[in-house]
Amino acid sequence: MAGRELLPDGAGRARVGGLLWHLALCGAVVSLLFAVVWALLSSFRPTSRIYGLTPSWPTLEHYTRVLAEWPVATLVGNTFVMASAVAVGQVVIGCLAAFALVHLTPRARRPVLALLTVSLAIPPQALIIPQYLMATRLGWLNTEAGLIVPQLGSSALAVLVLVQHVRAMPVSAAQAARLEGALPREVLWYVVLPALRPAIAAVAVLVFITTWNEYLWPLLITPRTEDTTVQIGLSQFVTAEGTDYGGLLAASTLTSLPILLVYLVAARRITDAFMQAGAR
Amino acid sequence: MTTTTASDLELRDLSKHYGSTVALDHTDLHVPAGSFTAVVGPSGCGKSTLLRVLSGLEPVTSGALLADGADLTRVPAGERGVAMVFQDYALYPHMDVAANISFGLRLQARHRRDRQPSRAEIARRTQEVAEMLELDELLRRRPDQLSGGQRQRVALARAVVRRPPVLLLDEPLAALDAQLRISARAGLQRLHREIGATVLMVTHDQHEALTMADHLVVMRDGRVVQADRPEQVYAQPVDRFVATFVGSPQMNLQPGVDGGLLGWRAEDGRLLEPGEAAPAGHLLVEGTVELCEFTGSAQDVVCRDGRTSFTLRQHVGTVWLRPGDPVRCVVAPQRLHRFDRDGRRLG
Repeated sequence: MAGRELLPDGAGRARVGGLLWHLALCGAVVSLLFAVVWALLSSFRPTSRIYGLTPSWPTLEHYTRVLAEWPVATLVGNTFVMASAVAVGQVVIGCLAAFALVHLTPRARRPVLALLTVSLAIPPQALIIPQYLMATRLGWLNTEAGLIVPQLGSSALAVLVLVQHVRAMPVSAAQAARLEGALPREVLWYVVLPALRPAIAAVAVLVFITTWNEYLWPLLITPRTEDTTVQIGLSQFVTAEGTDYGGLLAASTLTSLPILLVYLVAARRITDAFMQAGAR
Repeated sequence: MTTTTASDLELRDLSKHYGSTVALDHTDLHVPAGSFTAVVGPSGCGKSTLLRVLSGLEPVTSGALLADGADLTRVPAGERGVAMVFQDYALYPHMDVAANISFGLRLQARHRRDRQPSRAEIARRTQEVAEMLELDELLRRRPDQLSGGQRQRVALARAVVRRPPVLLLDEPLAALDAQLRISARAGLQRLHREIGATVLMVTHDQHEALTMADHLVVMRDGRVVQADRPEQVYAQPVDRFVATFVGSPQMNLQPGVDGGLLGWRAEDGRLLEPGEAAPAGHLLVEGTVELCEFTGSAQDVVCRDGRTSFTLRQHVGTVWLRPGDPVRCVVAPQRLHRFDRDGRRLG
């Protein structure tokens, strides 16, 4: 500890503080990763040893079975289409609403935002039966429209976040554009949206992930396996006769890959977007 | 640059209310065509509202707004032939300087069936304005890569490129530091001469208004108090408010006859020689020097006489005063401003 004594008091304390902080962060990372790593390792264990802790040779038996018997590509494709469409749809709705509420009808902003905030407090389960009845009568059972359109109804959070971002921008640029003869849609397209890009990215990612993980609605509206999403497909490994843990974990691992890929490609943009969104 | 036609502006009985707040109160005003008009007043006097109403960003509550006799009151903001430079310049942050300048022209071409002005014309006019405002080296920069003075010039370029008959300036110098402000002041006046448009500038700085404008409008509480040539406003303020608001140092005021007031400017007081008697008809003021402010060419001497104080301007080369010195000075009768008990100018 001779080295420590050479440092000024404050620096030593700052070092200890930094060390503790890093230890705490490492602890958090380990606890978060534990379940993932456990699942990943178990997916390579033979069914007979899957509950145990004894080491065994890794096996690909679950993966070959899942790939042969489970429609991975269809499920991932369905989920991807649904999540992308809902993300795009909610962002479009959010941008239009935010622009209108800030620049076109500012008087409506307070009541509308209050209403949207209240709507967040309503549990989605409370609305699921009327939603289901409406969707089936529209003939949307087992269709993409049935998966996507009703989920656009829950755009409240996207609207709220984007309104905050539009409000944080100086209004003078939009007013200058109006004075230069820009129509409202041109103000939105040329002045507001370019400045809104980071927020749009954040909202899109947020909505994409939430929708990807959605369970209840896809379960109801797409009971047919070939039309449904990953989350519902995974539940097929849980049956009355018991749970096929090997298959479940292998399928989970496989279907996590696309989201992991999204993160790897866009990690920098996503963190930037969330930092900026959080700072407001 | 081709000279634009300038419009005159007229406000007739114009009012603007925000809820229960009255920002403009039955205002009448004439802005001469081709003038450099400055609007001054304390904050909250309605001068910024005036610009917003003229530009069309805010609808009026009542009254009419005319340009060259044509009613503009209900004309949408983008179609008034009015350009505006915002206090924060309001540049489009993701567009480079060239795109910022040409944005209005490009919109115009999009909206018109004949697609005029053409792309070549837009490029030519952008280049022309950029050269006039010394921005031609900066056309590919984005606003966040520009200094404050450069941003201000981009905002000006963007406003004049469409050759508007009326140019509105909202505190155009407020965001610049003191050094830059002097040169920007000259730049604005030169720009006004070159484009020939009617310029209406709002400022809270009466000095800026006096030095730059050829027509000065003083506002208070949502009304125009006086509108005239700056030297006229300075020499013949219509009331006590204008007298003390315009001019620095403030006009000296002291009780006059019948509950009225007597006013005189710091440069109109003449120091008496020791033993010299006050000439007949002159106002005699006595006091003790409290503090002295050296301004370079003169010394502004703040004197106190009992409860009242006054300021005297002594030019360099005359008597140099120090705190504590006794002061006797006189003001010639034709230099006195007389106000009645309500503060209105007499005679």
